[in-house]
Amino acid sequence: MVEYHRNPQTELTTQSQLKTCIVGIGGAGGSVLDRITMDRTVDATLVSMHTDIRVLSHSMSPVKIQLGVELMRGVGAGGDPELGREAALYSREQIRTAIEGHDIIFICVGLGGGTGSGAAPVVAEIAKSTGALVFLTATMPFSFEGKRRLSQAEDSLKQLQNRTDALILFENNRMGELTLPKDGIQKAFVQADQLIAQSLRAVATIVTTPGLVKLGLDDLTSALSTSNGRCLFGFGEARGQNRGSEALKRALKSPLIDQGRLLHQTKTLLVHIAGGDSLTLLEVDAIMKQLGKNVPDQTHILFGVAVDPKLGESVSVTLISSLGLAQLNTIAAAAPPSEMLPLKERSMPSMLSAVAAKPAPQARHAPVAEPMDMLFGNEELDQPAPQSVEAEQTDIFEEEAFVPEPEPIVVEDEIQVEEEVFEELPQEELEEPVAYLAPEPEPEPEPVKPTVRPRIEDFIPTTSPRSNTNLASVVVRVPVPASAPAPVVAEQAPFAPPLNSAAAKKLAVSAQEEQIAFRFGGDEDRGRFKNTEPALAGGEDLDVPTWMRLKRKLKK
Amino acid sequence: MAKSTIYAGLEIGTSKICVVIGEAKRDGTIKILGVGTAPSRGVRKGEIIDFAKVQTCLNDALVRAEEPSDVMIRTVFLGVSGGHIESMNSRGAWRLPEDQSEITEDDVEEAKEIARNVPISQDNVFLHSVTRQYIVDGQEGVRHPIGREGRILEADYHIIHGLRGRVQNAVKCVREIPLEVEDVVFTAIAAAQVVLNREAKAQGSLMIDIGGGTADYVLYEDGMIAASGCVPLGGDHITQDIAMALQIPHHRAEDVKVNDGSCLFDDIPPDEMLRIEDDNGFVLGEIERAFLNEVIYLRTREILEQVKARCQEHIGRLAAGVYLTGGTSLLKGIDVVAQDVFERKVTRAGSAPVSGVTATFENPQFSAPIGLIRYAQILDQEKPFMSPLKRLGRKMADLLSVIVL
Repeated sequence: MVEYHRNPQTELTTQSQLKTCIVGIGGAGGSVLDRITMDRTVDATLVSMHTDIRVLSHSMSPVKIQLGVELMRGVGAGGDPELGREAALYSREQIRTAIEGHDIIFICVGLGGGTGSGAAPVVAEIAKSTGALVFLTATMPFSFEGKRRLSQAEDSLKQLQNRTDALILFENNRMGELTLPKDGIQKAFVQADQLIAQSLRAVATIVTTPGLVKLGLDDLTSALSTSNGRCLFGFGEARGQNRGSEALKRALKSPLIDQGRLLHQTKTLLVHIAGGDSLTLLEVDAIMKQLGKNVPDQTHILFGVAVDPKLGESVSVTLISSLGLAQLNTIAAAAPPSEMLPLKERSMPSMLSAVAAKPAPQARHAPVAEPMDMLFGNEELDQPAPQSVEAEQTDIFEEEAFVPEPEPIVVEDEIQVEEEVFEELPQEELEEPVAYLAPEPEPEPEPVKPTVRPRIEDFIPTTSPRSNTNLASVVVRVPVPASAPAPVVAEQAPFAPPLNSAAAKKLAVSAQEEQIAFRFGGDEDRGRFKNTEPALAGGEDLDVPTWMRLKRKLKK
Repeated sequence: MAKSTIYAGLEIGTSKICVVIGEAKRDGTIKILGVGTAPSRGVRKGEIIDFAKVQTCLNDALVRAEEPSDVMIRTVFLGVSGGHIESMNSRGAWRLPEDQSEITEDDVEEAKEIARNVPISQDNVFLHSVTRQYIVDGQEGVRHPIGREGRILEADYHIIHGLRGRVQNAVKCVREIPLEVEDVVFTAIAAAQVVLNREAKAQGSLMIDIGGGTADYVLYEDGMIAASGCVPLGGDHITQDIAMALQIPHHRAEDVKVNDGSCLFDDIPPDEMLRIEDDNGFVLGEIERAFLNEVIYLRTREILEQVKARCQEHIGRLAAGVYLTGGTSLLKGIDVVAQDVFERKVTRAGSAPVSGVTATFENPQFSAPIGLIRYAQILDQEKPFMSPLKRLGRKMADLLSVIVL
């Protein structure tokens, strides 16, 4: 068949000289960096930073910066972000000299701790001021790490949001699921590091290597642009016969994508296929076709292909997308084996602790915050925009980065995100029923349209033995009478936390409803086909009765 | 050679297992000797999920077919279906050697080889590779290229492939009866041989065989097959939708669908009620007929739209329209819905050119198994020039490629 015979040399133009730098801050960042150092697959300057001299001395990266030598005296920040921030400010110049002169700077950090949460915004600020593109790869703490760390992470994230061009956020909780429950905690952390290292490498490769169908930074940011989104990342590599579909299978197996189930909800998906000289058009076609079955039609697929002789006989598939935290949690909660805490429980701590804790640090650290902002402002003014292309790009990034931004209190932010999710969905879904019914051009079927909607909904209560007002519960109840209502209720009950405030209650209720609405063809909806392979088309499971799906769409 | 051959076609469907025994005469006619059906258990969406149940049902059907026809069946043509079956068109170009300008049989074989050499997934197996046409130096629509002058010969093929495991399972299930499988045929291809006549194929037509678990389709354009495939949706889904909407058992829903179901709900007055009875004849309750019909309508329309979506690019050229066959095509009003979806002439058709047990061949349920016999006949006719020895060898090779691979 058609084969690509492309000489990579012809493509080595100005782009190939992009210099990348990867900065690891704190314990988590350092271990990710170690992993990358060991793999030696990324051509980049590696810089690790830490306040704790003992941890730093174990690091394998070539450049090490001890933050706040005078202030900290080689001791860790002890989980206090303020200390981490001050330490980074002390070592400002050192950081600048280390990362200056790069085109792209990746910062990887584990949020929630002292050094990571505190120093990352400062480093990001400095990185931005050097005129480079700044990517942040961050992990949110495990739920067992406590509520305080979570709120610290969220504070830090807020500061980072407008100082970076793109945020790649990982939910440690989800990554923890890749280890068996009986595995050690160390393994959970190691697995998380591994995944992040992998994603960093993939992103660096995508952005820097020349491709036949090139994916740029703009594509990457749009794939990640969900507000308060968490990164869904899948990477698979395979060789030998049938390597294309094998690679895709592995990419989909990534726990962050949850066997492709999470992809049903995404609006934008970035797909990057790379292979050696032997990559054929047919393979690419097959991969995309196979992927299409996992993704709804409306999803915007950003597609890239690169031929890299280094890969030899193997083909790699990278999937990157993002999903709002709220959606992610509802889907995860709907999945049976998940041990993750549902949304309602998560938002509670941030509400309580953030309201109490937030004003204090701000007041205390006004002087610290000021030099940072000055730093930012100065550089912005001084810089005459190095390249026109880059200036354009940064503009885009800034617009996007600012969208979900300033909200004074965490509580409101959290709620707002939820609302956004709710608002966005109907828009998307409303179009569908119309499209479904619309393609009848003759005037005759016209009267059908008005009758369809009221009818289906009018009839359901009359035909079912128990009358019900709530459509959401109808959806759940209608399927196989034997098994339907009981398990669903049971599934939700253990999650229900003791709720005090009315607002929190509301939140919980909406989360529950959401959970039902988003569930994708739970087995009870599939009736006698529940043990068969689902017939997927356009991201829908066709085995679920048509009227049920239509009703769900109308409801949204 | 006025010899006639007896073939048996076997279709393991979602709703019924059907064995048809037919006599294929050399003049191209078919006489049906016996038909045996048994309700099917253990099949979902065209794929076998319970071997033991299927084998019991299959034995039943076999006995029922053998008894009236007084024939002992050893080998069958097995029809397969299922959502795993895919198709594609492939073209292979062969440049004749410099010192040669007349196309020979070897050149045709070479071009065929190239066209058929398409990479499919390792788990898949070729079911059919049907010659669509030959192209000699850019001139399309050549049927018999041998003997023509030309430089470049292209062979245009329609290739149908499916998952090896699934196909093999079906074959294995039949072999344990024990029956020998002579060939594995995609049911839509078989059904099209008896549902569509030459003219319909030439004008362009789409045949949809809507069975219990799957809707198999074949689209012909200019007399050649242009698209084929399988949508894993069928009458079973309609029944399930009814069962879930009315909260009644599956077999009651099936009865309601067959006896009272229709896709048309516009003209039904809103207060027309339908009584639902349980197995003992007690009345379970009443439902509005319009509601039942709307549930059926929604699913039927979806099935047809799924088929349409898969052969969208060819829809514009269907002069002969859409042919519906298979058990679900008996559903009242399905032709109106199909007309609405495809905006083409819609014909409900059973199999046509056979004689014998007349009650059978007009029933669209039996299009596919009768088609299997027709397919066997065509297969025989297509190789007249081969010596018996060569034919045997070819048959062996075919069998090997399908079954052993």
